[in-house]
Amino acid sequence: MSTTELWARPIESLAPAIRDGKLSPVTLTEAYLDRITRLDGKLKSFVCLAPDALKQARQAHEEIRSGSWRGPLHGVPIGVKDNYLTADMPTTAGTTAPGIEFARRDSAAAARLRVAGAVLIGKTRMHEFAWGNVTPPVRNPWNLDRVPSGSSGGSGAAVAAGLCAAALGSDTGGSIRMPASACGVVGLKPTFGRVSRAGIVPHSWSLDHAGPLTRTVADTAHMMAVLSGYDPADPASQDRAVPDYTRALGKPIKGYRIGVCRNHFFERNQEAVKQAVEAAIYDLAAQGAQVIELKIPNLEFGLAAIYAIELASSTAYHDRSLRAGRTAHFTPDVRTLVEMGRLVSAPDYLKAEQLRTVLTEDFRQALDKVDVIVGPTTPITAWKVWEWSVKVGTKSESVLAASWRFTFPYNLTGLPAVSVPCGFDKEGLPIGLQIAGRPFDEATVLRVAHAYERTHEWKDAMPAL
Amino acid sequence: MSEPISDRPLDPYLDILGLDLPPDRLNEALDSFRSVLEEIRKLRELDLTDIHPCVIFEPTAAYRKEPGA
Repeated sequence: MSTTELWARPIESLAPAIRDGKLSPVTLTEAYLDRITRLDGKLKSFVCLAPDALKQARQAHEEIRSGSWRGPLHGVPIGVKDNYLTADMPTTAGTTAPGIEFARRDSAAAARLRVAGAVLIGKTRMHEFAWGNVTPPVRNPWNLDRVPSGSSGGSGAAVAAGLCAAALGSDTGGSIRMPASACGVVGLKPTFGRVSRAGIVPHSWSLDHAGPLTRTVADTAHMMAVLSGYDPADPASQDRAVPDYTRALGKPIKGYRIGVCRNHFFERNQEAVKQAVEAAIYDLAAQGAQVIELKIPNLEFGLAAIYAIELASSTAYHDRSLRAGRTAHFTPDVRTLVEMGRLVSAPDYLKAEQLRTVLTEDFRQALDKVDVIVGPTTPITAWKVWEWSVKVGTKSESVLAASWRFTFPYNLTGLPAVSVPCGFDKEGLPIGLQIAGRPFDEATVLRVAHAYERTHEWKDAMPAL
Repeated sequence: MSEPISDRPLDPYLDILGLDLPPDRLNEALDSFRSVLEEIRKLRELDLTDIHPCVIFEPTAAYRKEPGA
């Protein structure tokens, strides 16, 4: 097996080779480390590499050679977003502010990956405290003048560039799915309560989700098999059986009801995004799915609700830093957001939580009629570094307001939602298709995503770096 | 702990919101809050009187057992 192409292979291809002894985890880890050395100077997707990455790989190699293959992630290098605590690497949550330190122990997700035998290769860069969608100074592998989006921008860029086989991200308003869309990879925000957040630096307790970014939908299924499950250390965790997500893959979607919500999700998109997503809907219909157009009310109030909850929660979490004056050392945008959270009144916060009840019911009624809801992940492709507004149609709007418009409804409602690549704009920037489903029905979401993915070649496209 | 609230007039930012910022930072926060407030004002117009918020007190949470316990 040629080592020069290892970095381009998804886990679904690497795992059988590792299991059968045709590929050593040491060779694979060396291939990624070499690629990181050569490319990450311009991408800046990692903040640190595990000093014992090769030791982890050698241990996996020995175990597998002795007949103890643990599963598809055994010996596979995975990047970890820098807000997940890790025992062998420091955690910064993207901040350089003095006086803020995090424990040196494994988060629940990191611990699960270690039990599965994964090689935790390094920590990926994130927007400070997960409070943004740019992730400076990370660059987009498809165009180094563009942002990778965020806040899991390092994870998105690293997976897209083939610097690791998969990565962990976190998603409070779209922070897994937006970089997945911008970087041309798969990103899943699971149902709230499906994957433990224990040991992840909080941003907004009732909106934060943990999940993977991968090259393919099957890889997401493999990651979810390891990450999912009850954890009493996360108050939101639910004790529910974890299905075999891979069993949902490769199955037909004939007769599936595909919901297309024309209000909100299709009202203001860049032309290339609109065309790619309409083509994807057409392709799903061509596979025998029934497309049902629907309207979900009250979405126009969602932005207020997520602003109120996210701002108030973040400020409550950072209260100690605020009182100690440490926010002065935050980056200017994050500092302002954290200070601003005190302006959200308690009645406005609770009204936002009331609206969540309304939206959750609205989506339940929609998902009574359809199996999944599809649409664009973001209305825009990756924007230029230091560009704060973009043109969408004839209107110019802020990249913050535009980029998360279609992702945050699923944080407010806690529903599972995946972004899967569905094409490129004329500048060669990736476009994401978002597929959302019922609570704890990630299997259907992945089944539809896989049905789309396998009839296209987007997953085989790699950025020229 | 800040100073006791005496008979002096309450400062809406410092006393009520706990926003202890120098004037330039306070103005920055207020200015940035404009677009957020624009959205929140729409939410305030909604009548949600009969809707229970998505906030649930769960008194048994502290009694959850660790795995294997």
